[in-house]
Formats: sequence, C-alpha cells, structure tokens
Amino acid sequence: MHLVVEMLRSSVLAATPVLLAGLGGTYTYYANVFNIAMEGMMLIGAFTAVAGSYLAGSWVVGMLAGMAGGLVAALVFAVFAVYLKTDEFVTGTAINMLGLGGTTYALRQMFRVKGAFMSPRIQAIPRIRIPLIGTLPGIGPVLSGHPFLVYVTLALAILIEWHIFRTRYGLRLRASGEDPRAVDSVGVSSDRIRAQAILISGALCGLAGVYLSLGYVTLFAENMSNGRGWIALAVIILTRGRPLGLLTMSLVFGFFDGLGLSLQSTKIPPQFTQMVPYIATIAALYLYSREKRQAPSAPTGPTGSSEQAGQ
Amino acid sequence: MDDHFIEMRSLIKVYPPDTLALDQVDLTIKEGEIHSLIGENGAGKSTLMKVLYGMISASSGEISFRGRRVRYASPREAVAAGIGMVHQEFMLVPSYTIYENVILGAEPVGRLGALRNADARRRVQSLVDRYGLSLNIDDRVCDTSVGAQQKVEILKLLYRDVDVLIMDEPTAVLTPQETGELFRRLRDLNAAGKTIIFISHKLDEVLELSDTITVMRRGRRVATWENRGLGKADLARAMVGRDVVFSVDKPPAYCGDVVFEARDLSYVDAGGRRRLDGVSFEVRRGEIVGIAGVEGNGQLELVQLITGLGPIQSGQVKICGRDVTRVPVIERRKLMCYVPQDRKASGSAQNMSLADNAVMTHHRLNPRLESRWKALLSPARCRRFAQNLVETFGVLTPNVDTPISSLSGGNQQKVVVGREFLFSADFVLLDQPTRGVDVGSVEFIQREIIRKRDSAGDVTADVGAGEGAVAAGAGCLLISADLDELFSLADRILVMHRGQVVADLVPRDTTREEVGEYMLGVRESQSERRPRAQAASASALGPAGEGACVK
Repeated sequence: MHLVVEMLRSSVLAATPVLLAGLGGTYTYYANVFNIAMEGMMLIGAFTAVAGSYLAGSWVVGMLAGMAGGLVAALVFAVFAVYLKTDEFVTGTAINMLGLGGTTYALRQMFRVKGAFMSPRIQAIPRIRIPLIGTLPGIGPVLSGHPFLVYVTLALAILIEWHIFRTRYGLRLRASGEDPRAVDSVGVSSDRIRAQAILISGALCGLAGVYLSLGYVTLFAENMSNGRGWIALAVIILTRGRPLGLLTMSLVFGFFDGLGLSLQSTKIPPQFTQMVPYIATIAALYLYSREKRQAPSAPTGPTGSSEQAGQ
Repeated sequence: MDDHFIEMRSLIKVYPPDTLALDQVDLTIKEGEIHSLIGENGAGKSTLMKVLYGMISASSGEISFRGRRVRYASPREAVAAGIGMVHQEFMLVPSYTIYENVILGAEPVGRLGALRNADARRRVQSLVDRYGLSLNIDDRVCDTSVGAQQKVEILKLLYRDVDVLIMDEPTAVLTPQETGELFRRLRDLNAAGKTIIFISHKLDEVLELSDTITVMRRGRRVATWENRGLGKADLARAMVGRDVVFSVDKPPAYCGDVVFEARDLSYVDAGGRRRLDGVSFEVRRGEIVGIAGVEGNGQLELVQLITGLGPIQSGQVKICGRDVTRVPVIERRKLMCYVPQDRKASGSAQNMSLADNAVMTHHRLNPRLESRWKALLSPARCRRFAQNLVETFGVLTPNVDTPISSLSGGNQQKVVVGREFLFSADFVLLDQPTRGVDVGSVEFIQREIIRKRDSAGDVTADVGAGEGAVAAGAGCLLISADLDELFSLADRILVMHRGQVVADLVPRDTTREEVGEYMLGVRESQSERRPRAQAASASALGPAGEGACVK
C-alpha cells in the first residue's frame, strides 16, 4: 500500500512539468504554430529561476525570473516565426540549441561549476498542505503536501480549457490557427494572436522550468529539462490539444517516469529503466496514429502536378 | 433617397512600375439601387470596389459616402461605416458553426472575455428569419454548400449592420438554382433598403438583376446606363470594344471509334470517403464530352486517375484501346493531351521562360528537340518550337525568352493549351481550360478545342511524336464549372454528383436548369441511358454512333 501511494505521488510530481509545458503548447497548437521550442524555453526558465532565487534569496523572485526567461525565449521565437516569417522548425531548433548551450555556458560563467549547481542559498518553492485534501481517503495521501505549483497547474488545466473554448480570445485563437485570413478579414490581426499564443506558451514553459529547478529538485543541472518539452509536444498532438486530455496523458507519462525510477532499485540496468517513459510515449503515439487512420479525417485527394510528373 | 450616396471622383490606382489599374474613374451610386459593375477580367471593377472598401488605397482621387469625404484605411473601418463586401473566396473558418463565424471579430462578451451567446444568437437567428436566408446557424460551415456559405458571408455583414453590400462575382461558384436563390435574396435585401453593388462579367445576370449598369474596360469607366431596353450586344460591345460573337460556331460532331474508356472507376481517399463511385463512360473520336458538377463531386479525383497522378484502386482506364490502369504518367502522356485546371500551379512553371514552358513534356517525347548529343536538348530547336507555338496560337509576348509569369492570364493559358494541342494524341483532357481567362482568349481557346475535335493531327505535323498526323479528330473530355461553356462546346454532358455520373445529356435536348438539378442531386440519377457503344464502335471511323453524333 505504501509503495503504491509513493508511486502515485511521484507520478503527480513527474507529470507536473510536462503538463505545464503542454498547457502552454496548447495555445500554440490552436494557433497552428509548430512550437518545438518548448524544450528550450523550459530549460532557460529553469536556469533563470535558479539564478533569480540564488541571487535574491527569494523563491518569488526565482519564479518570476523563470517565467521571464521563458517569455524572452518566446519573444525571440515570435518575432522570427510570426513577423519575420522564418521557418518555425528552424527557429525552434535554434532556440533549443541556444537554451542548451546558453544555460551550460552561463552556468560555468556565473557559478563556476560544471554539471550541476547546488547551493543552500537557492530557495525552493514551498510545499503546502491543503486542508481537507489530505484527509480524503485514498487520494488524500497522493495529492497532499506537494510544491504549490502542482496545485496551480491542476487549476490552470481547468482554467485554460475554459479560456480556449469559452472566451472571445479562445474563439479568435482557434480561428487564427485554422484560417488566418478569415480572422484578418474581420479586422482582427491573426499574426498578433499567434504571437500572443507563443508568448503565453513561453511563460508557461518557463513556469515548468521553475517547477523543475525549484520544485521537483532544488538545483540546476545541464540539460535538466531532459526531453520533457518534446514529451509535452507529443502529448499535445496525442490529445489534439484538449487541456483535460493533456492532464490525463501527463499523469500516464508521470506514472511511467516514476515506474522507471522505482525499477532502478531492481536488478534491471538503469539504462533500460530510464527508457521506460520514452518507450511508453512511442507506444502511445503508435496507438494514437492507428486510431486516427481508422477515423475519417479531412478530405484529401491524391495530389500532385502533371508537369512535374510528366517531365 | 440620396442620389449621390457614394461618389468616386477621378480615382487612379497605379501598380508600380507601370500598371494602370484604375484610370480616372468617376462613379456615382444612388442609395437603394442595385448597381452592377461589368467588365472583363482585369477591367478594374474589383479593384475599384476594393478601394472603396479600404482593402487597397488609391493613388489619387477621392470618395465620398453620404456626402462626407471618406478614406478607409482597412475593411474594418468600411464595415463600421456601413459598407461591406463579399469576396469571391469566402473568409470562413470551416470547422466553426455558422453562428461562430458570424460573431467572430464582433463577439458579445461579458466579464473576463467570456462569450455571452444568448442575445447574439437571437439576433443572428432573427436576421436569418427576416431575410429568408434559410440557414441553420448551428451547422458547421464545412458541412454546408457553397451557396449556403455565401449566405453566411452576407449574414456576417448584416450582423454588422451594413447598408451597402458589395458582391464580387458572387455567381461564379453557384449552380443556376443557387444563382436564382441568391438573386431573390438580394432583391429582398434591396427592398429592405440595402444598396447593392454587384460585380460580374456575365451579361444575362447583370441585365436580370440591376437597376443601373456600369461597364468598365482596361481601368476606365466606359459607360453607365439605366437598365431599360438594354441588350447583351450593347453591353458586350462596351466591354470588349468590338462586336462579340456569342455562340461558338460548331459543326455537328462526327463520331469515330472509342478513344477513351473509363470502366467502374472507384476511389476512396485517405479519410475513407468515397470520392468516385463506379464511374463508367467513354469518349469517341470527334466528340466533346463535357463533365458538369459542383466542385468537389469527384472531378478532381477523376482527372487524377486519368492522368496517373493518383493510384487507380478499382476499375480500368483505356486510352486508344490500350489499358493504362497501371501505366506510369509519361507513358500515358504519349496517348493524351492534358490541360490542367490550375495554370499557375501545374500548368506552367511560373519562373521559367515561355520557351521552357512550351517544350515541357515535348522535351521527353519529341526527338527533334534534341541536339547532336542525344541526352541534351538543343536550345535553338526549343526556341524555334516555342516560336511556332506563339505564332500558331496567337500568344502576345515580346519574345519567347520572357518569363511566363509576365504574360497575361489569357496568353499564359494559350501557351499551355498550345503546348498540349501540339501533341498528336487522340484523346484530349481539358480541365477548366478557360477559367480566369479574358473573353477574347476564351473565344480563341474554344475555337481551338473544336478544331482539335475535328482534326487531331492538324497542327502537329512539326512534332512527330507518336503516330503522326491523323485525318479524323480527337476525342475531348471537357471538365468545366461554366455551364455556358459546356452548352456551347460539348456534344454530350455528363453530370457528376457525389462521385457518380448521374446523367448523360445532349445539350440541345436539355436545359441549364435540368443540368443544375442533377448537379445538386435534386433529380434522381438517370438509369443507364448511355449507349453501350462497343458494338457501334466496331464499325470504326466515319460518322457512326448514337447520342449527339450525326448518324
């Protein structure tokens, strides 16, 4: 019993950064921006959070710095991808490389360490016990006593579902992704909405970074996002951007992440246990695409051009 | 009623470096009238209205609306002032409901930007009822017909309280029934006090609908007339600047052997939708078979299966007796001429020269274009070939080395048609050959199609690909969205609906309305009426066959 509770607790903890980044990516998903920069935004956020918390000695400053870090990365992405019309894939890749290289470089320059930076001066995000939840039978022990960002994230999932499907902004956002000309024709700038979507995703990815470096653990390590931004991207595509579906899929990923950690105490080599969450992701993608092939999709005919084919 | 409701004075629009799109245009529109703007493509009618609507800014000149000088910087300002425009291409979000499309950009919101739908829904519904638009506002746009989508665009503007409705070639995408319905709705709107500006190049429609008609030609306003006692010939003369022959002079068809045969073609797309459903028909030498149908009823797939751009899943295609079901594109091209629908995307390579475009496909099939070294083309011979094409098909161009994109649409299309007609193949596939082409070029291309029908090998003596000159004509398959074109060119009209051939009609025994009913699926599919020509075609050449052919 105790082991099960521990595993579920670790699922929730591991799911949170994926969910946060995924919620950010939901905005870009609906704006039809191929946001592969989430990994980089998250890593930059994680670094600026640690730097902020260390220098100011306050987790509040750390959290704001982390979100600002993600936001700045997103701003660069937005300027290039939306206004300068560069390729989203290339721009996103550049941001990811900048995130990895830049944080590693800054880590060595600012803190004179290699690999990981730990210090008692880094203030972590406080853990809170929400009254009532802890006393619930069954799920009480699972949900209680986490860093408060976990609860913020759960609330955000519901809030963002509402924001995207029930508000004016959501209506315009989804329309911009599907047919930007239709939005422009009624006097609303679709470029602007897409840029906003990227900035929101940047802030949320930054927050995911904050959670990683000030909540999940209290340190910054090189490449500590470790593919979670990519997992988030996969989960968004998998759930077609439904925030509540995202919540479920992130928990599944978190479960396998936790399972991998638990298996490390067994005789299975750690290289294999570390693969578990990623193999689970690939399996999920396979199942999803099989389902999609059976479902009717947008009408597409065979396309091509005669001249090219005829030459 | 205000007689100077909208006034435009000496509007000039120059596109750098030297294209004069509007040349000193003066136009007055009265309040509450239906005012048509008519002219050929590129005459400036759409440009003029886009200037009024704030989409394009004029180089000089002024506009006044309700007696006040105005200059709208964006369509949004124009709409706020009460002027709305429905474009040829619809600006709708396909997966949204009609209601969502209508409110997009003018959403009713409460606190925190949350949508407050109740009142707005009532308003949209009452507009639908009041103007008899017969739309279900909860239908998704992608599930509705083109005619309904056009009404949604009108509804969007009504929701924004416009007084002036500009319709840019609204009937280009509609069936005759939908056109009739649109005209009734426009008259209702007009009766309710809306001023309507109707842009078209179809003379009948303009004469039927309007109070006042303005004719434009080459960026100038040629004339403005009250619609009383006007005839098509008057308008056409003003439009083109000379007399125009309306009916293409077409001798009766003499059908020969079968040159094209489709048997039981079916196609299911990646999404599991049945795009073609057991399509069978044949085309004989010397006849033009037209295919009518609302776009998206299988015409695209049919063309792709015939040309080899899509895999044939079931069924069979025979060209000139040869089964080409599993034959690659280049082999099929030896047997057929093909004018693709989209001149820019697949008919030509826009950045390449006229000469390069002229020899495409010929460069693989015609050994006379090669130089001394077999693998290389001879530039001189290619240019000579292109020069021949330019002369034969009357292409207006400074020389054969200019990029094809600098030619007018009509001249580009002449290059494409010319290139294809220089093949001596006996089967000709024409997919919208005159779409977006000026009236003069349409006339020319249509005459060439009939010439091709009557003598396939005529202009091909220089080519020498395949079997050489043939005495009898080619069999043509003509897919067109323009019913007038089908009625003037085709010897038989097949109607496609939901991937099936639902009717096989002879133009002189049918009407546009009947064809329209089949297109919309209002009429049940004809029973197999088409002649099983196997036996008849055995007699081969000479005037044989049934249906439209002379016996």
